[in-house]
Amino acid sequence: MSKLQIITKGFFKENPTFVLVLGMCPTIGVTSSAINGMGMGVATMAVLIMSNIVISLIKNLIPAKVRIPAFIVVIASFVTIIEMLMKAYVPALYASLGVFIPLIVVNCIILGRAEAFASKNGVLDSALDGVGIGLGFTMSLTVIGAVREVLGSGSIFGFNFMGDVMPLIFILAPGGFLVLGYVMVLFNKIAKR
Amino acid sequence: MFVVLFSITAISALLVGLVNNLTKGVIASTEAANKDMAKLEVLPTFEGEAEFELSTKKIGDFDINVTKVVNKSDNTLVGYAVEAPSITKSGYADRIYLMVGFVEQEGETLIHGVKVLSQKETPGLGANMTKADNALERSIKAEPNPAKMVFKVKKDDASGSFDSLTGSTISSRAYTNAIETAYAGYLWATGRLDTSEEAIEAAPTGATTPAEYSDAAASDTATGATVVEGVEGVADNNESEPEAQKGEISNE
Repeated sequence: MSKLQIITKGFFKENPTFVLVLGMCPTIGVTSSAINGMGMGVATMAVLIMSNIVISLIKNLIPAKVRIPAFIVVIASFVTIIEMLMKAYVPALYASLGVFIPLIVVNCIILGRAEAFASKNGVLDSALDGVGIGLGFTMSLTVIGAVREVLGSGSIFGFNFMGDVMPLIFILAPGGFLVLGYVMVLFNKIAKR
Repeated sequence: MFVVLFSITAISALLVGLVNNLTKGVIASTEAANKDMAKLEVLPTFEGEAEFELSTKKIGDFDINVTKVVNKSDNTLVGYAVEAPSITKSGYADRIYLMVGFVEQEGETLIHGVKVLSQKETPGLGANMTKADNALERSIKAEPNPAKMVFKVKKDDASGSFDSLTGSTISSRAYTNAIETAYAGYLWATGRLDTSEEAIEAAPTGATTPAEYSDAAASDTATGATVVEGVEGVADNNESEPEAQKGEISNE
């Protein structure tokens, strides 16, 4: 697999949201608007790249039997450290992305990629895998967030063009499932061609 | 196997602890600076340096921090910035902390500005309370005098002064409650509220408004009446003030 392929597979062939169907919890939870989806995607991507690098560096030290708990400990401490550093030194960034950070600890995409890719591949490939999957995740969440925002509050990226007339259900969880389902079908139909 | 897992957890714990020690001070000072900024944001702008005079009222486990802001250059009172939680009503996820700015104009107390200090409401719903010009803020702008406010959302009680955020009645209730708590804190700091613990606790329960309460408390302090009698006085007061309610309804 070429380096470019590692990155592009995150968009279509192994899109985490629409094809692997991983990390559905944050997907439904935060995609009530396009900007929220994008924020969660970017925060996840940053953590994913770093955790992939760390896991791939220590993969030979970890016995196979305890690899899952070891990964979880590494990822959880990693996220906690990032959260504390962000809060201390880039408070503006923390104010906009901070709410998503604790959600990342329990995001199964991170663990999924650690198990499926980083624990079997080199450092560079793992980092690129983090970039690809991260971008794919960001794209998917932004698309779902945009659709829900347009249908639910008649605005896009916070810019309101419809007033207060749209059905609120699309901002709420049931609308999230509906939009996710339809966008997933549409995505797979287009991707199969 | 055990050794490796143990070392990984030990190293991780050590790192997290180290970083926590390293960042604890910085985070605390950033938060303190943010709070000072928020105090000035909810009050009118002025030329000169601000002087803060902090007093804290404890209600149960909660602190209401009242900061008297004075313009140092000409020694005039700018207003009071009150940091208050929603005491009796939690939001959808957690309590809501507000910074509420009170100014005194022509003998009247007005709410000049409100800033949400912390909230964990749903993004796109309750979290809209942090956005500029939301329904709650508009309700306050329509009736900025807390003495005339009815601290309820209109959805629960038609006489309430607060429009709720679309689809977020629970968050709006908590917000309203925090405003009421802040007003009670302000009255306490300016010596217009009975300072006994029960009296302030009674005020933000929604059984009465601090406005009505302060009237009752004022007369009670003079007569030395007990708190229970104070609440009864409030009920009477409520019936004898139909004008105030009319005023709110016409605001809708």
